[in-house]
Amino acid sequence: MLVAKLIDTTLCIGCKACEVACQEWNDQEYTLGTFNGSYQTMPDLAPNFWNLIKFNEVQRNGAEAWLMSKYQCMHCADAGCLAACPAPGAITQLANGTVDFVHENCIGCGYCITGCPFDVPKLSPASKKVYKCSLCSDRTAVGLEPACIKTCPTNCLTFGERDEMIRVAEIRTRELKADGFKDAGIYNPAGVGGTNVIYVLNDAKQPEQYGLPKDPIIPWTVQLWKGPLKALGAMVFMGSILGAFFHYVVFGPQQEEAADEVE
Amino acid sequence: MKSNEVRVARFDGYERVMHWMAALSFLYAALTGLAIWSPVLYWMAALSGGGFVIRGTHPWSGVLFTAVIGWMFARWAKTMGLDADDRVWLTRMDKYATHQHDALPESGKFNAGQKMLFWSQVVTALLLMVSGVVLWFPEWMPRSLRLVAIAMHPLAAIGSIAGIIVHIYMGTMSVPRSMRAMLLGWVTPNWARLHHPKWYREWRGSTNLR
Repeated sequence: MLVAKLIDTTLCIGCKACEVACQEWNDQEYTLGTFNGSYQTMPDLAPNFWNLIKFNEVQRNGAEAWLMSKYQCMHCADAGCLAACPAPGAITQLANGTVDFVHENCIGCGYCITGCPFDVPKLSPASKKVYKCSLCSDRTAVGLEPACIKTCPTNCLTFGERDEMIRVAEIRTRELKADGFKDAGIYNPAGVGGTNVIYVLNDAKQPEQYGLPKDPIIPWTVQLWKGPLKALGAMVFMGSILGAFFHYVVFGPQQEEAADEVE
Repeated sequence: MKSNEVRVARFDGYERVMHWMAALSFLYAALTGLAIWSPVLYWMAALSGGGFVIRGTHPWSGVLFTAVIGWMFARWAKTMGLDADDRVWLTRMDKYATHQHDALPESGKFNAGQKMLFWSQVVTALLLMVSGVVLWFPEWMPRSLRLVAIAMHPLAAIGSIAGIIVHIYMGTMSVPRSMRAMLLGWVTPNWARLHHPKWYREWRGSTNLR
């Protein structure tokens, strides 16, 4: 059974309780943020900061709009991080859809950072390993909802069976449309096979305004590295080795030098 | 005088150290790189301390290899230039592979195949180093560059390793006594005459051997 986190951005009040809950549950050390003239806690996610409320200040129909959106791992069905990862067992995809990092197997190469179309995983300079939201896999394993969901005071965040979450999102979208948000919709990008973190946006035609990429995909060079290049390499290496061996078998070594006088 | 009583200097001490530094750093970089390249070969990581360790050491072996290739370039680039005979040689490589050496133009200190290996290694080392630095520091490099590097690095490595597989075969099995030249630095006059006639004549002209 797939689970999903539903983020209804229209209900977010920017209280950042989810940020605190995430830090608390995951026992993250507090790091001073960078003040850049915004309410946002820090500019970007960090190895010890997996859940960030983005305070997006954008122009809409000639007026200022202040869009808050929760930014964390999207737990993609086709996960770019997993596609890029070269270390067996360092990234696992659980039956419920959670994409989880297993740090004892992580080698810290950072390929997941390159593979992720959402720029989520962060390399820790201290441990030289990569970190991101685990969907609180240690909570969901025992039937609890993720810490951010548990703490959200406005029901902006809900968690449950994925189909159910999509149904709720659809109902909410209809309500928003009835309220005049004609472009309201669900963010569940097909380019990565759908995500297990889905959003309700009051303008789904412009997800960039919420800091979300419009059409995230696993880049073709990452797929090339993970698939065809391995086959090509195997053929070239085996071809070279077998070619050399059979060359020896058929033609033998080159002529021996003569032992006679120097001409 | 018998051929085996005369030594023709082929590679001096610097060149031998240079070659074997390149060989060892290449071998280390290639084996650790292959371990990271494919889960099928990941067990090889354990030979050098595991995946986390080789993620740290692989880039440095690449730096060393590139530095030695730079040294090699400084020392051999001139010698490795292709002359008219070499160009003809390259069009008749099949004759070389089938040991019909009479059908080939004469070679100098290096034959055209060796020269091509040299240039291909210079090019792949350059590609590997540039893409390698990008992959080394994912947190500092723009994603657009990393996306190019993630495919370029293994592609260049495949070409480079294939060339070295052939090189090792030539040096160990295919050309008798060629290892002596790179390990000890000298060959006999008849070896030189057989494999590198033009280079042999240069030596013959400069020596006062009767």
